Amino acid sequence: MAYDKIRDPRRIMHVEGDMEVDYIYTAGIAGERFFVALRDKEKLVATHCDKCNHTFMPPRMYCDRCFAELSNWIELPPTGAIASYTITHEDNNGERLPEPIVLAFIEIEKTDGALIHQIGEVKPGALKIGMRVQAVFKKKSERTGALTDIRYFKPA
Amino acid sequence: MTVAIVGVGHTSFQSTTPDISFKEQMFEAAVKAYEDAGVNPRKDIASFLTAAEDYYEGYSIFDEFVPDQLGAVLRSVCTIGGDGLLALINGVMQIETGLFDVVAIEAHSKASDILTFPGIVTHGLDPIYNRAFNVHPYFVAGLEMRRYLHETGTTREQCAAVVVKNKQNALSNPSAAYAAKMTMDDVMNSEFVSDPLTRRDISPLADGVIVMVLASEEKAKDLSDDPVWLKGVGWCSDTPWIESRTWSTAEYARLAAERAYKMAGIKNPQKQIAFAEVDDWFSYKELQHIEALGLCENGEAGKLLEQGNFSRNGKLPVNVSGGRIGAGNLLEASALQSVLECVLQLQGRAGTRQLKDAETAVAQSWRGVPTATGCVAVLSSEL
Repeated sequence: MAYDKIRDPRRIMHVEGDMEVDYIYTAGIAGERFFVALRDKEKLVATHCDKCNHTFMPPRMYCDRCFAELSNWIELPPTGAIASYTITHEDNNGERLPEPIVLAFIEIEKTDGALIHQIGEVKPGALKIGMRVQAVFKKKSERTGALTDIRYFKPA
Repeated sequence: MTVAIVGVGHTSFQSTTPDISFKEQMFEAAVKAYEDAGVNPRKDIASFLTAAEDYYEGYSIFDEFVPDQLGAVLRSVCTIGGDGLLALINGVMQIETGLFDVVAIEAHSKASDILTFPGIVTHGLDPIYNRAFNVHPYFVAGLEMRRYLHETGTTREQCAAVVVKNKQNALSNPSAAYAAKMTMDDVMNSEFVSDPLTRRDISPLADGVIVMVLASEEKAKDLSDDPVWLKGVGWCSDTPWIESRTWSTAEYARLAAERAYKMAGIKNPQKQIAFAEVDDWFSYKELQHIEALGLCENGEAGKLLEQGNFSRNGKLPVNVSGGRIGAGNLLEASALQSVLECVLQLQGRAGTRQLKDAETAVAQSWRGVPTATGCVAVLSSEL
């Protein structure tokens, strides 16, 4: 619909632009505890709601069920079981990756939550839902207090 | 509820639209909708609602860029940071308050202007726990799809059948961007983006605009011979923590449907709903959403779809429009595309894809990865 339309595709004009925005993302009270324990002790920190009997992984300082503030912090070994996995072939620009990356939804033992992380030391064809896995950490000197302090999870 | 849709207007949906700006596209859809409703926006419409997300648009505070092309300058205007169906539901509520008797709803996509779509979606992921890997954000769908297949016994073939069906349905929708006679092999053999999710399991992005005019009962009867009534609405958000969600069922859709059905007096959706338009951003999501809407038992959608239950001539047709997969993924506007199809069908204006004797329909939306938010509306030709 228009009185007139452009018919010559060579005449079509546009301008290019971008929205450059940079941030820091605060880890927060729960995130701080989680990443310090990860970096310094190779442990995972969860929070437990006594009223709902629910263990949050990653930890949160509040319960999204009963809305209570949580203060029961639990340290756990970095082990779990694969609840789902995917073999990803594209990067976040939509370009083909040189090697596919295996990511898994890892249910962390003794919690009601999970971590999403890479899986290593296993061929994609051998992956199974239910497979027990454990974290493989970077050297202490290379850790920064981020999820990538875990290099990947491998079969336990 | 006593609110009706009394006019619809839309552009055709296209893979690219380099010759026309998003404002001109909105103008086109608005002119058509106001013509369809027989209203003059400068005199008859008191409130305008649009659905938009700044990052999809490339504007900060995009709300400011909508009034002129809708005939809404110096009127009550607001933008909903949600999908088109949430904008429509908010329009319904505005009328229900008695503050306005005619409102306009708009949703659009100019996806072809977005040069870094996966990057924008990646910024929807939790920055601390979910953004560490340089992978396409649809990995979340790959994870969800495998879990859904695992828990329900649904097969990849059944997901591929969704794609074949919706592309086929789109052949009869002149507005659709991605109609095709695709075979099961075309889908099954397409490359993996995030295994088990293939290229063809993913709805391709498209440009398009949809505008609707809503009116109160009294005004609707005055304006239209065949208004389409909103019988029930619901909307729901699950936790944003993808680590804490239920992965095999779409709980947001189940609860939104429960609320909409209760309002509409739908006790047995399989019997009372004639057809459905559901979100199919990814093939498996259509099956998951069919189950969440109670249109079959959990885990049965794939099998029933293969048997033809949800085909155009089946017991309960789903996505006769082609959905996102066939008509094109219009981002926040696909939700209104679903409503549009319901309106056209219920008014007998759906051309060669017209369903027979359809009186009550359900439209359902989902906002895509990594969200767990969606809306449901029940629509009927009967008050």
